Amino acid sequence: MNYEINMHLDTIAVIRLYGELDHHATEQIRDQISRTILQGSLKTIIWNLEKLNFMDSSGVGLILGRMRELRAVNGQTIILNPSNTMKKIFQFSGLSAYMMEKKEEEAIMHARGIVNG
Amino acid sequence: MDNEMTLSFLAVSENESLARMAVTSFVAQLDPTIDELSEFKTIVSEAVSNAIIHGYDEDGKGLVTVHAVREGDVISVAVKDEGNGIPDLKKAMEPLYTSKAEMERSGMGFTIMESFSDNLQVESEPGVGTVVTFSKKFHTVKMPQIS
Ligand SMILES: Nc1ncnc2c1ncn2[C@@H]1O[C@H](COP(=O)(O)OP(=O)(O)OP(=O)(O)O)[C@@H](O)[C@H]1O
Ligand SMILES: [Mg+2]
Repeated sequence: MNYEINMHLDTIAVIRLYGELDHHATEQIRDQISRTILQGSLKTIIWNLEKLNFMDSSGVGLILGRMRELRAVNGQTIILNPSNTMKKIFQFSGLSAYMMEKKEEEAIMHARGIVNG
Repeated sequence: MDNEMTLSFLAVSENESLARMAVTSFVAQLDPTIDELSEFKTIVSEAVSNAIIHGYDEDGKGLVTVHAVREGDVISVAVKDEGNGIPDLKKAMEPLYTSKAEMERSGMGFTIMESFSDNLQVESEPGVGTVVTFSKKFHTVKMPQIS
């Protein structure tokens, strides 16, 4: 399991996940992701799952946990590029509304409130 | 029965990927689609992590056993632990119910397992352990050869 966090303007964090996100992996990465997020004036987390090969309910717990941390600042969550199986898992878990059919760049623009076209 | 395998391992979280890898190789015989395979791996991952997290509280001592059987295009799997057991099974199987919210579990494991499998059964007794049994039929369609 690997991940990459890129900050945009201090308010948007793009988290790219690589490999397999299970219980073992979430325990490895949760604290550090959480710490990075809680620094600064974060408003939006964009989870890019394009390079994630596998995810189980642990991924739901990880995303819901960070949503909880963002609640105080009325933050926003965007999920990009889930696989078909991940889509179903998010649907069962009530996270459908957070999935977005956009490219990463477009999602960042969207989060900044810039509407294109 | 066309094939059978048994895998036992200690209740440590590293072994969740081991279990997924083993069952992935086991179903490879059926030439599954990407979606069939990922749903199947997800069910196994949910059952195995439940055994490790809830059955044994990740004690690194208890044994989790994954037993898989192939009959034609149907794979049946039993995931067994001899750990804590489930006091109220009906409640445990409700969507969003978790006894470990502080660990950021979401309570979706059983719902996911039920949705992705063809039939799921859970037997559990407090102090004795838990067995989760499910089967999944693979509908692999062979692609026509392009000549
Ligand atoms: N093998 C087991 N041994 C003991 N208790 C279990 C076992 N499997 C499940 N349970 C109980 O059933 C509850 C629901 O399980 P389920 O997998 O649906 O959710 P979870 O594991 O809590 O969260 P998630 O799977 O979303 O991470 C658990 O919280 C636990 O109390
Ligand atoms: Mg679970």
